[in-house]
Amino acid sequence: MLNEEFRSIYSGMADELIPRAEGMPSASDARVPTEWIDRALDYRPDLQDGFLRALNYGKNKNPREAIQDLNTQDSEAFDCLGVLTSGAYFLNPEVKKLIGYPGQVPSPANDDLDAYSGMLAKVLERGPVYRPTVK
Amino acid sequence: MSNPVVVNSPLPDIADVLVIGAGASGSVAVSELAKAGHKVVCLEQGQWTPSSEFAGDKPEWELVKQKRWHPNPNVRNHPSDYPIDTTESDVNPLMYNAVGGSTILYAAHWFRFMPSDFQVKTMDGVADDWPFTYEDLLPFYEEMDHAMGVSGLADDPAYPEGGSFPLPPLPIGKPGIKAAEGMDKLGWHWWPGTNSIASKAIGHRPQCQRYGACLTGCPAGAKASTDITHWPTAIENGAHLLTGARVRKITVDKDGLANGADYVDRDGNERHQKAKAVILAANGVGTPRILLLSKSDKHPNGLANSTDLVGRRLMMHPYAAVVGTYEDNLESWLGPAGELMHSMEFYETDKSRGFVRGAKWNLMPSGGPLGMRSGYGGRPVDESFGVNFHKNLKKVFGRSFEWGIIAEDLPDEANRVVLDPKLTDSDGIPAPKLIYKSSENTTKLIDFHVDRALEAHEAAGATSISITKLMRDCGWHLLGTAKMGNDPKDSVVNQWGQAHDVPNLYIIDGSVFPTSSGGNPTSTIMANALRSVRHLVENFSSQVTPSSY
Repeated sequence: MLNEEFRSIYSGMADELIPRAEGMPSASDARVPTEWIDRALDYRPDLQDGFLRALNYGKNKNPREAIQDLNTQDSEAFDCLGVLTSGAYFLNPEVKKLIGYPGQVPSPANDDLDAYSGMLAKVLERGPVYRPTVK
Repeated sequence: MSNPVVVNSPLPDIADVLVIGAGASGSVAVSELAKAGHKVVCLEQGQWTPSSEFAGDKPEWELVKQKRWHPNPNVRNHPSDYPIDTTESDVNPLMYNAVGGSTILYAAHWFRFMPSDFQVKTMDGVADDWPFTYEDLLPFYEEMDHAMGVSGLADDPAYPEGGSFPLPPLPIGKPGIKAAEGMDKLGWHWWPGTNSIASKAIGHRPQCQRYGACLTGCPAGAKASTDITHWPTAIENGAHLLTGARVRKITVDKDGLANGADYVDRDGNERHQKAKAVILAANGVGTPRILLLSKSDKHPNGLANSTDLVGRRLMMHPYAAVVGTYEDNLESWLGPAGELMHSMEFYETDKSRGFVRGAKWNLMPSGGPLGMRSGYGGRPVDESFGVNFHKNLKKVFGRSFEWGIIAEDLPDEANRVVLDPKLTDSDGIPAPKLIYKSSENTTKLIDFHVDRALEAHEAAGATSISITKLMRDCGWHLLGTAKMGNDPKDSVVNQWGQAHDVPNLYIIDGSVFPTSSGGNPTSTIMANALRSVRHLVENFSSQVTPSSY
């Protein structure tokens, strides 16, 4: 669980990574720093150390400056921050809806042979593309 | 599930056959031997993997797949895994250690080798011929197609008889239609994908639900992994399975015959299983590791290694990815993944290209928004984040797909598996080290194929194209490290997988492949395993066994 200081630092850094733009919510708009990051950290405990290292890097720094410096000076911690923040953002169902992604839901396999059978007939007309066994 | 776990307890004091490894080939061996009434024991270092554990139907899928379900054991670092030193390898080996082996995580591309793959020396003057032909293996291919419930379309002009499959093909989807339009303009071969994934319910397996999560385990149970296709019946037939059993060495008697194996269970107990014959099915890295670990007075260079070929000729199929992005929303997060289609247009040798052999192309969907795989990136902050996070997402997500190129790499004795002098697994057993460099022929092959895949995307109307010429995490296909051949002077096993040096030791996984083909090997691994084990069963009464048993 992040304490209030780290959560505040993270909020600024997360919005640098995912700002409000292009009709999409920022990380904070999507409740990443207050809700979804905790779930993401639960799913990826192996990234927690790098994530906390990234937040320590953000102490007493402008978030943009912190992000840029982190990427050049501790790329591993930056990767932890980036993966967790992006992953947390996409956990939010409202974000999924905005990008047109139904999520990991069943979509039973259909038969679409009719949609391509005409093109496939031409493949057959062109003939074999293999070399037969030498007897 | 507690450890160790024995199915069909108690284990027999002396097994007719001990099988090491419960993956693709080991499953076939155990099934056939149990069906024939033999006392068969299988030692598997991993555990069962219930489909309920897979994350492909859960919101966190893309987060957890980069760790818990990563195919690289050095990243996954699961208790069932052993570490592998890859500091001298261009490619990382990928695998999964469990009942079902790497079929738990494989993409289920059910590629059948082509006739020329068995006659590389005869046709192209390089490497070696196999000791049998495509036609010899054909009935076993067909039997495995049915055992695995394969979905595909008959009459592919890439094969002599066209092939037929128990289930119709899976949908090629909007990406497949788009790609086919490009191939149609160019007049190039393509064919709807052949996958060991159920397009319709078959047996106990439901229809594919198109989660697109095949590479992280099928949550629907529609993908054919051998824990569900083979093991239930094998257990009903009396096969004994011990999970969490890591083999330390195959032991031999005074005559140098295999007489069992030493193993460590998950409680740390050192144990021994006696057997009249031993089958090694631990993949192209695990198998040479165990052979090299099994040194004895009778076999001072490692078991079955009088030729010094054990571990050599490692082939791993360098893989290139050419990803096209399109204007249309292609819903390219949908599965199967799995191949949507394949192309063999440039599979066969054309020496005017400046190299020999070729590659299968497979069309792959692009997964969810977090990224299909790790390892494609490495961009500066402002390219991937900030406003461009949203712009890139809108441009690419659901609108891109990959032509993947599986390059045939030819055998080279310098590419090998050795025992690492320092690194060990959690039981203190020496770990394998890989020494593997991609060849000049492979580099030329990939350059040519990438250029053609670019043309394929352009013809299909791609608005942008990205290329990864050699993906480091691509070593799914672990082949060649215990070569099969007729001559004991230049091969480890004969055409039935029987070790030339040790007549009651059989090797039946991809280690025995003399050449690698340019495509996915699981279909051939299982067909070859079936052919080998059928021969063993039919001739078991005359099998040489330890005199004390």
